[in-house]
Order: sequence, then C-alpha cells, then structure tokens
Amino acid sequence: MTDADNQTKAMHAKTQNNIVYEWLTAQQITPFTFQEQAWQAILNGESGLINAPTGCGKTYSVFLGALMQFIDQHPTNWQSKKNNGLQLLWLTPLRALAKDIGRAMEEVIEQLGLQWKVAIRNGDTSTADRAKQKKQMPEVLIITPESLHLLLTQKGYPSYFTQLKIVAVDEWHELMGSKRGVQTELAISRLNGCSQNLQVWGISATIGNLEEAKKVLLSPLKKEGLTIKAVIDKPIDIHTIIPEEMETYPWAGHLGIKLAHRLLPIIEQSKTTLIFINTRGMSETWYQTLLSLAPELAGAIALHHGSIEQALRLWVEDALHTQKLKAVVCTASLDLGVDFRPVDTVIQVGSPKGIARFMQRAGRSGHRPGEISKIYFLPTHSLELVEAAALKKAVLEGTVENKDPLLLCFDVLLQYLCTLATGEGFSPKHIYEEVQSTHCFNDLQPDEWHALLQHITTGGTALQAYDDFKKVEIIDGIYKINNRRIAMRHRMHIGTIVSDAMLKVKFLSGGYVGVIEEYFISKLSPGDVFTLAGRNLELVTIKDMHVLVKKSSAKKSLIPAWMGGRMSLTANLGAVLRKTFSDALTPNAGIELTHLKELFLIQQTLSHIPKHDELLIEQIEDKDGFHLLVYPFEGRQVHEALSAILAYRIGQIQPMSFSISMNDYGFELLSDSPIPVDDSNVRELFSDHLLLQHIQQSINNTEMAKRKFRDIAVIGGLIFQGMPGEKVKARHLQSSAALLFKVFEEFDPNNILLRQAYQEVLEQQMDEVRLRLALQRIADSQIILQFPKQLTPLSFPIVVDGLNRNNLSSERLEDRIKKMQQQLGA
Amino acid sequence: MPERCIYWEEAKAIILSDAHFGKTGHFRKSGIAVPQDLYKEDLQRFFSVITSCKPTQVLVVGDFFHSTANEELNLFLKWKNDIPNLTIRLIKGNHDILGVDWYNQANIELIHGQLQIGPFSFQHDPAEQLSATVTDDFIFSGHLHPGIQIKGLGKQSLRFPCFYITEHQCILPAFSKFSGLAILKPKKQDAAFAIVNDQLIHIT
Repeated sequence: MTDADNQTKAMHAKTQNNIVYEWLTAQQITPFTFQEQAWQAILNGESGLINAPTGCGKTYSVFLGALMQFIDQHPTNWQSKKNNGLQLLWLTPLRALAKDIGRAMEEVIEQLGLQWKVAIRNGDTSTADRAKQKKQMPEVLIITPESLHLLLTQKGYPSYFTQLKIVAVDEWHELMGSKRGVQTELAISRLNGCSQNLQVWGISATIGNLEEAKKVLLSPLKKEGLTIKAVIDKPIDIHTIIPEEMETYPWAGHLGIKLAHRLLPIIEQSKTTLIFINTRGMSETWYQTLLSLAPELAGAIALHHGSIEQALRLWVEDALHTQKLKAVVCTASLDLGVDFRPVDTVIQVGSPKGIARFMQRAGRSGHRPGEISKIYFLPTHSLELVEAAALKKAVLEGTVENKDPLLLCFDVLLQYLCTLATGEGFSPKHIYEEVQSTHCFNDLQPDEWHALLQHITTGGTALQAYDDFKKVEIIDGIYKINNRRIAMRHRMHIGTIVSDAMLKVKFLSGGYVGVIEEYFISKLSPGDVFTLAGRNLELVTIKDMHVLVKKSSAKKSLIPAWMGGRMSLTANLGAVLRKTFSDALTPNAGIELTHLKELFLIQQTLSHIPKHDELLIEQIEDKDGFHLLVYPFEGRQVHEALSAILAYRIGQIQPMSFSISMNDYGFELLSDSPIPVDDSNVRELFSDHLLLQHIQQSINNTEMAKRKFRDIAVIGGLIFQGMPGEKVKARHLQSSAALLFKVFEEFDPNNILLRQAYQEVLEQQMDEVRLRLALQRIADSQIILQFPKQLTPLSFPIVVDGLNRNNLSSERLEDRIKKMQQQLGA
Repeated sequence: MPERCIYWEEAKAIILSDAHFGKTGHFRKSGIAVPQDLYKEDLQRFFSVITSCKPTQVLVVGDFFHSTANEELNLFLKWKNDIPNLTIRLIKGNHDILGVDWYNQANIELIHGQLQIGPFSFQHDPAEQLSATVTDDFIFSGHLHPGIQIKGLGKQSLRFPCFYITEHQCILPAFSKFSGLAILKPKKQDAAFAIVNDQLIHIT
C-alpha cells in the first residue's frame, strides 16, 4: 500500500467510527498512523502482524479495532447488546501482563458505555471464575498459551469459540522460536476450525525476520496478511562502566560484584533504575550486595525474578508504576510487559548475549515521547568490555537477530493430541489436516503421524497379551482419553516450559517465599542457610514437597543455582565481536578497548590477538592435562557443535577422549594425552568435507541429544513431576530423563521422541548451514597455531567455565580463579 | 555375576535385589509408553541364570516387584510355572506392596525384616539396624541401586552399576535395567565391582 492509500483508508475508518474517535479526542489521544492502519485492516476483515515496540499503544491497535468492528456490525444497539460470546481472544506469554492489559481494556469499555466483559484466564484464575466463564464467556478473554490448551481439554469447548472474531497474539517475537510458539500455532489451527472467518493479529517487537514471523502465525489461515510497522525512532544512549583498576579486574567470572559501588551514583541520579542480571541466583547476590553497600536504600530497592512469590512480584510491579522504588534488581522476568513510566535508566550486568535483547532492555527506560533510552553496561569480567564495544557498534549499525521458528516438535504435538483426546476427542483425518496447516508441521509425513497415533494408543510395540498400556482409546473412529486419572494427570502437565522439579519454600510460621529447585535443596542439610527473595533462610525440614524454613541472621549463606540455561551469543553479535577484536591495540579502538590494553598486551606476549580474518588455536599443557583451545567467536551454540566435530575428527586420527568446555568466544578440548593437531593437519580438521556425515557421527558420541531429551520427555508426557494428593502412587511412576533416554536407546531406538531429540540437535545445535558457513569462513582465514607456556587471557574464562561445569561451589571456584591467576603472574 | 546377581554355590542359591518386575507395565498402565522389551530382557536374564546355574532357591533382598499387580506379572507367573521346584524367598522391600494372597498364590515365601542363614543375613535396606546381635554377621542387601563413578585425567568420568562390598556387607546392584544409580564413593577398605559390558571389573 502507498502512503496515500493508507491515508484515505484511515480517513474512511474515521467516518465509520466516530464513536471511538470522539472518545480518543476527549482523552486527548492522537492515534499513531500504524494504529489507524491496523483499525482499517481489522474492519476490512484482514489478518496480519503489527510491529511496534512496547509502550506506544500496541494494545489499542488491535483492541480498539475489535471495538470498532463490533460497533460497526451493531450500529443501533452496540451500547445495550449483552452476552455476545467471546469476540476477542488475547494471547499473552506472561501472566503478569494480563492484569494491566485487562484494566486498560475495561476502562475503555466503561467510558464508551459498552456491555462487554473482560476476563483473565491463567493458572491463577479461581474455580469460581472458571465456572462463571463456562456458563457465559466474556467478550474478551486474556489467556496464556498453556491455559488456552487447557481450555481445549473441556467438553464442548468448540461452542466457546463460535462467535470468536479476532485472536491477538501479543509479544509474538517472544513466543516464536520456542515450543510455546508451537503451542500457539496448534491452538490457532484449532480455533480456526471452530470459528468462521477468524482474524489473527500478531504483535511483535523488531526482529530480523518479521515477514517470516507473520507467515508462521498466519499459516493455518492460509492467508498472506498485512505487515504494519510503527515508525517510532527512539535513540539509545549506551554507557560502559569501566573498572578503575583494570589490572586487578578478573579475567573470568560472571558476577561483576566488584563494580557494585559504581551503580550507586547512577541509581542516585535517576528516578528509577532497572538492573538486569542474567540469572536468578546472581540477582540475589546483587540485591544483597547493593543493600550492604547502601543500607539507606532499604525499602527503596526491590528484587524481581521468576522464582519469587507472585504477590511480592505484583507488589514490586505496582511500586514501579507509582514511583515508590529507586531501583529494582531483576532478571528476564521484567523483559516484557507494560511500561513503567518512571523508569529512566537501565543497567545491564554481564553480556546480554544478543543485540535484540540488549535493545529491548534499553527500551524499558525513557518512555515518554521525546525521551532517550539510557542503558549502562557493566562488564562482569575484563573481556566483556570487548562485547560492550561490539554492542555499541551493532546498535549503531542497526543489526538485529532473527528468531527461527521451530519445526516438527513431536513432543508438543503428542501433548496436543492428548489434550484434544481429553476434551472432545478427535478424528485423526480432520486433525491431521489442521495440524499440517501450521508452519511447524507443514512437512509432517504420514508415517510420522502414524507413529504418533501409535504412541498414544498402543504405546509402541509391546508384549501383546501382557500389556496394560492405556492412554488414548479409539471409539467409533474418535480418539479419546476415558480414564479419569490419566485425563487429570494430562491436564496437570500441559505446558512446554520445563524446569527442574520445584519445591515451594514456606516459613515454619506460615507464609510463602517462593520456589526453589529440588536439585539445589537436595544438597543442603537442615541448619544450612540459603538466600531466596533477598532473605537469608535457614532450612528446617522438607515435607510434602514443601521446604520449611525460618529466618536466619547468619552472615554467610548459599545462593541457589537455578539450572535455567545459559544463553548463547547470537551469530550477529559474534560477527561484530570478531571485528571488534581486530581493533584491539589500534590507536582509535574506543574507550572499552583502550582500557583493556594491559590485558591485550599479555595476550599478545603469550600468544596472539586474532584479527577478524584469523583463527587462533592455542595448545597448553598443565597439570589438568592437554588443552586445545580454538577461538572462532561464533557463540556457545556453534562452538558446541564445532567442538564435537573436531573431537570426532581428532579421534579418527588417534583414539582419545576429551572433556569439552566452551564459551561464546571459543572452546576447549581437554585430554589426558597430547592432542595431535599441527599445521600439517589443521586445515583438514576444519574443512567442510564430509561435514554432514561427521555431524551425524559426532552427535551420537556426545550428550547433546540426552540433554534435549530432558525437555522432550516431560512435554511428551513420559515424565510426571508429581501431583498433589497422589504422592505415594506417583512415586512409583518416577524416573529420570537420563534413565529413559538410556532405556529407549537400548530397547526402542526408533521411538519418535528419541528421534526428535536427535533431530533437535541436528537442527538447533548442529545447524548444518550455519556450521558450513563458519567452516568456510575458517577456510578463508589464516590459522594461527600457538603454544603458550601458560593460560592466556582468552583461554582463561573457557578453562574456568569448564571447572564450573564440574559442580565446584562458588566460593571454591573463586579461590581457584585467584590461584590460577597468581600462577599466570598477571 | 555380570548378570547383576550372585550365585552362592554351597547353598545352591541365587541372590538378587531390586528386580522391579512389572515396572514398565506399571508405567504403561498410566499411559507412559516405556518399551516393554526392557522387561522382556530382565525376565530372560532372570530365567537364563536359573537355567544355567540350576539353583534350588532364589533369595531376593527386596523390591522384586515394582508396584501393584498387572499383566506383566502374569507373564512372570507363566514363566515361573515352568520351574515348579524353585523356591523363591523374598525379603520384603519398600516396593513389594502386593497382597499376601498374591505371594501365596505365586508360591513366593515372603519374609519381613531379615532372613538369617548361617553367618549371613539378608535384608532390603543396608542402612537399617534390624537387630543388635548381628554385628558379626555379613549382610546382603540392596535398595540403593549402587553405582560407581570412575574419574580420569582430563576431567573424564564414567558411571557403572556395581556390587559394593565392605567388611560386613554386600550391597547388590539393581537387577532391573530400568533403574537409576546411587553413586557411592568407596572407602579405602571397601571393594566395588563394576558391571561393564557383561564383565565385572574390580575398582580400586
């Protein structure tokens, strides 16, 4: 569409919808162009994707459109018409967002005098409210993907959606690329089957592949749809916090706590500051440290992460709105959601791992029109200063990553089929078509579909007469779960977010603190003190899936480690990083690199600083064994694949075993005997010859598939995490993913979920295209082999990370780092 | 024996622990599609040991069956009927929750707590103190599913199920392959025999 077209259409919308426009004028709101475009498109019955950052009226762009459509269709009685059935389904990834969105919608409805009702449905919705919704669906339902699937387990669910006009998928960029995104795709395919002329609108922040994002979302509708972009340019102001004493700043680590005092003046000068920390465990430490540095901040600083009790989190969010807090230490838990107007400064501690995430976090500050987003970057170890420089470069160049949609997630599909079987039951022919209409399962083959149906009906091959397998039964061609206990268990386990078994933490005297991983608590004994939600707690006992604690005044405490994965650097940031490294020790290297001069000099003396067209390989021998370090700067994920292939290829020269460790800069192969890599074979070791074959073989020899299987087994319904009221019986059903993986490998190697684990490794970790690109880049590079006498600044974080993997406690790890650093004579 | 059990020649007895028969069936009954071939392999191993060693009795130190009755146990009974002269004595473990009638019908002698044969006692949980007078006895037990971790240079490590033997007791590995491992760290005076690819290897 041309701009002129847009304008005439927007004008058209205006005349049709004076009511909403009058209201907007009364509120002194001038609509943005993209909003008016969206309204017109909705009135025209179209679907599409709206690209707009948070905090510029993206909710209105779809919601007001839905209202206009309703008023348009009921010109005489729109104000009195009640109980219209579900009109707008608002899908949001975060429960926390629902309340604010709902409140905003209700205000508009009330002021316009409509009879619409808005309701929220998620894990927190009470049974009474659920029953009410069952009797009469509200006009607007705000829901998470999990709760939507749960709704599909109800008898008669199709009748809820017969009047449904619009499905809005908020924060689609967050959902796509995850299994929750697949869940969303499947749900849309079903809703599209339940209602006529369904319109689907995605709302997404900027990602590299917006057009693909739209295609994925609208795939079940078989429509192309419109892309509507909000042109809102907001400058980002990036500052790097440079350690004063560069020489003593650690070469590795991920806490950065030494620089905590530098945050105080920033907090002081700002209205409200969000401090983003990469993991929940570290956020606890940061919160404690800031409080002990500036006790006067008590009450004005808060902690927010996913394992804190919800009431407390909501309190923090409210306090942010009302400017009661000076600063909040948070994790990705505050990445999304409504805007906290008072926030004018953001601090990022440690690498954000991606350009898009960094920009999104920066965008959480300075929301009022004309304001600038201000973000400070605090490096947690010396080399992260290079990343700071790279981020600045990337933001300047406007590079943003893609989000790649997932394909053929059999675990999610299995769960979905059981969901449908629990509710109405399904007819395979009909659902096969719907499932195939999604982007994720476009390529689903009949034999795979058959294997899936077998899996839920007969449980694969079995000892015929001596089998009790029971799940989905086929009655008159309809696949259905009739066993009530199996149905109930399935309902309890709908979802694709897999975490370690979580235990609730409660005070002896009552009062809920939050949740903690079973793995962490199992290592403690009564009397031990740990930190959660910023409080020091003494473990008293564990009872019925509850951890009972009392307050402790102990000075020392353990910080829980949540197993939530560490993210990998994206390819885009990796590329910028390589270029940035090239600039080291050049005169106009920028403030970050200049401060790293000392470190680079050590690296230069001991070994070499890789230029962007060079690949550095270091071989170091010490008491741990023989280290081979390679620095492709491709991100942790690619390194995992590359290192596995390299290990496989070296193993072909001479049988040997390796322990592999990696970070975003490079990877390490550690062995107990010398590693035969020299300039005679190094080119061949990094060639892309026979790549696919070697990928296959190296997958089988690593634990990557086993790790993937952990999530798949839970989503696919092989592992139950226990449920209330059934503890003893459920105990006989417990097994670990690792054990199941072993069992399937040995006894049922063709199992469809096992195959998926290998497939996921192949596609996500071992992405052949990306690997080939990386290897071709290496082929064009000069390979520099070095034999340093001791660990170099570049190798140090990788080798230390390897230690970390072996479960050394954090304190001993620090001692270890100190000792190694002394050995280095830094 | 690498078949995850002990043959006691003088007494013509097979000692085993934690067979968890019927576990795959129990999972499958609840809609978890665990391959049943695993159970078949466990059963076959059990009966092939019986056929080759020709014991007169089998001493099970607990957790012979995984949970309540199911079809898989009927398969066990069918096989067992072919060797009518075999005595099976089961020291009750925490998983053995079938009704007394069931054991009677299956002709399995159920023993609560501890069984005493000469200088040897048999019990399920090695940690349980069952009587004060047994200090000199040598105890056979199970329950833990003991395993051992072997670490090498270059941060390598491997894990195997094992027989764990101290001065006063022997903890048997789980007979069933559908079982996890509890990694034990051997003390100096103790011995562990790892089951590695159908071989027993003494780990020192």
